[in-house]
Amino acid sequence: MNVRTLLDTPVPEPGPAYNYAFLDEGTKREIRRAVLKAVAIPGHQVPFGSREMPLGRGWGTGGLQLSLSLLGEGECFKAIDQGADDSVNAVNMRRLVAAMTDAEPVTDTRAATLVQSRHRIPEERLRPDQTLVLQVPAPEPLSWIEPRYAQTQRMHAERDYSPMWLYLYESIARHGEIAVGANYPVIVDGHYLMSPTPIPRWDVPKLDRAPFLTLLGAGREKRIYAVPPHTSVVPLEFEDYRFQVERFAQPCARCGATDAYLDEVLDPRSGETVCFTCSDTAHCELRRTEAQR
Amino acid sequence: MSAMLSVERLTRRYGPGCDRCLASTGPAHGTNSCPHCGTVVACADVSFDVEDGEVLGIVGESGSGKSTVAACLAFDQPPTSGQAFLEGFDGDMLSADAAARRRLRNTRIGIVYQTPQQGLALDVTTGGNVGERLLAADWRHVGRIRARASDLLERTEIPIARIDEEPRAFSGGMRQRVQLAKALASRPSLLILDEPTTGLDVSVQARILDLIQGIQREAGVAMVVISHDLGVIRLLTERTLVMKLGRVVEEGLTDQVLEDPQDAYTQLLVNSAL
Repeated sequence: MNVRTLLDTPVPEPGPAYNYAFLDEGTKREIRRAVLKAVAIPGHQVPFGSREMPLGRGWGTGGLQLSLSLLGEGECFKAIDQGADDSVNAVNMRRLVAAMTDAEPVTDTRAATLVQSRHRIPEERLRPDQTLVLQVPAPEPLSWIEPRYAQTQRMHAERDYSPMWLYLYESIARHGEIAVGANYPVIVDGHYLMSPTPIPRWDVPKLDRAPFLTLLGAGREKRIYAVPPHTSVVPLEFEDYRFQVERFAQPCARCGATDAYLDEVLDPRSGETVCFTCSDTAHCELRRTEAQR
Repeated sequence: MSAMLSVERLTRRYGPGCDRCLASTGPAHGTNSCPHCGTVVACADVSFDVEDGEVLGIVGESGSGKSTVAACLAFDQPPTSGQAFLEGFDGDMLSADAAARRRLRNTRIGIVYQTPQQGLALDVTTGGNVGERLLAADWRHVGRIRARASDLLERTEIPIARIDEEPRAFSGGMRQRVQLAKALASRPSLLILDEPTTGLDVSVQARILDLIQGIQREAGVAMVVISHDLGVIRLLTERTLVMKLGRVVEEGLTDQVLEDPQDAYTQLLVNSAL
């Protein structure tokens, strides 16, 4: 074949640049299989072959792969980052999902069928027909105390969690309290110790016997795990040192909420606290519009 | 009186092993490594009973296999063959599943090692070290765990004010006493002391031996004391096994064994004592 005939050969029509939902069908099937296994063994980390995604590892690739393998026609997708719909990462993720799938991007929690979140669970109580996808930086709760994977596997299998209890005891002996701010270790369904991702303690009780499905995806660490609906999620606590959620001295400065998780707003110059505002921006917005009516 | 611990034909080999290992090693052959396959027979056909409240000594020179026996009984090493029965536990404890072994290890069996690094986490507080066994036994009340740890530390003469310090900051003798407190935390039925005073100076040794005697009198716990030091064996134990090259060469009442040794090796051992 000479150059002339090559040049004369008509260029084939380009197909769609990407498969539906960015991932190829085989990958989506693999992820759905991992999800089924994860749902069948609540709190157990299921390995999966995490793909390269058009965002950096550690920026929610695990959550995004879960969302993309689940979103179909008629779905409504909400992405939040630390409670906010309008952070750069959440906006980009929502745009990507909108461009690649038939799902409709939304910010109203009530309208969403799938909520992908980093480090928060919405204040709005999720319903049985909604799914929560959490982005996981470090899926292994035992990594605080045991770096060897083979050992953590053995500990999970034998439910040998006394080193974790010792870790909490040490925290009390040294600091006078369980000094775990976020990512509070929980026991799922009476068996597996699970990292609920760095959600604040405030959000942990929302997982216990929740009516909705929670899927947790760690892209960098290549693990998927799940809390199926109506599954017990119990934080580790001592009889005399109970698990406690955060308490706030003031209500939200914007909507006046006293029953929501608040962020502290600091003056960047003086470093002093200016006020507290709702971390869940959609919920805060909703309360304000309802108050105006 | 029923035996608290009954060990039957405990054998531990290191290496590939062959049919002739057991027949080609031991005191009669002057070696514990098999000339045919190079396997080291650390201990073979070791059988003994320990009655409730009894203190049994195992004596022998370095390399005689006595610590291997201890390691097998504390589940640190799996035996190659043999069985061990602990009163109140159904069946052979050495072949129990991993979770059952761990439960036994945390609740029924206490061990004090020669080096505190083996038995203690040096970067965990003293209270945490002692409390670890209680946490493993599902104690979930910090106040009660600390109260029990304080009792044990008081008993083992560690100042209670130092309960939240790391054993790293302690002297060798103190660390050994923390190990003892930890081993006793869950009121074990069997206490294994593997060279508990080796490497300590004489006055510290004497205090620890006093302490062990006191605990034995009070708690009546069955003990297996492993030592190459005949003084320790004479002081603590009622009955003694003498081991050489992985085999038991003599067994009897401690006084009898030490005053009137029958086996040539035991005679040598007794005569070598300073």
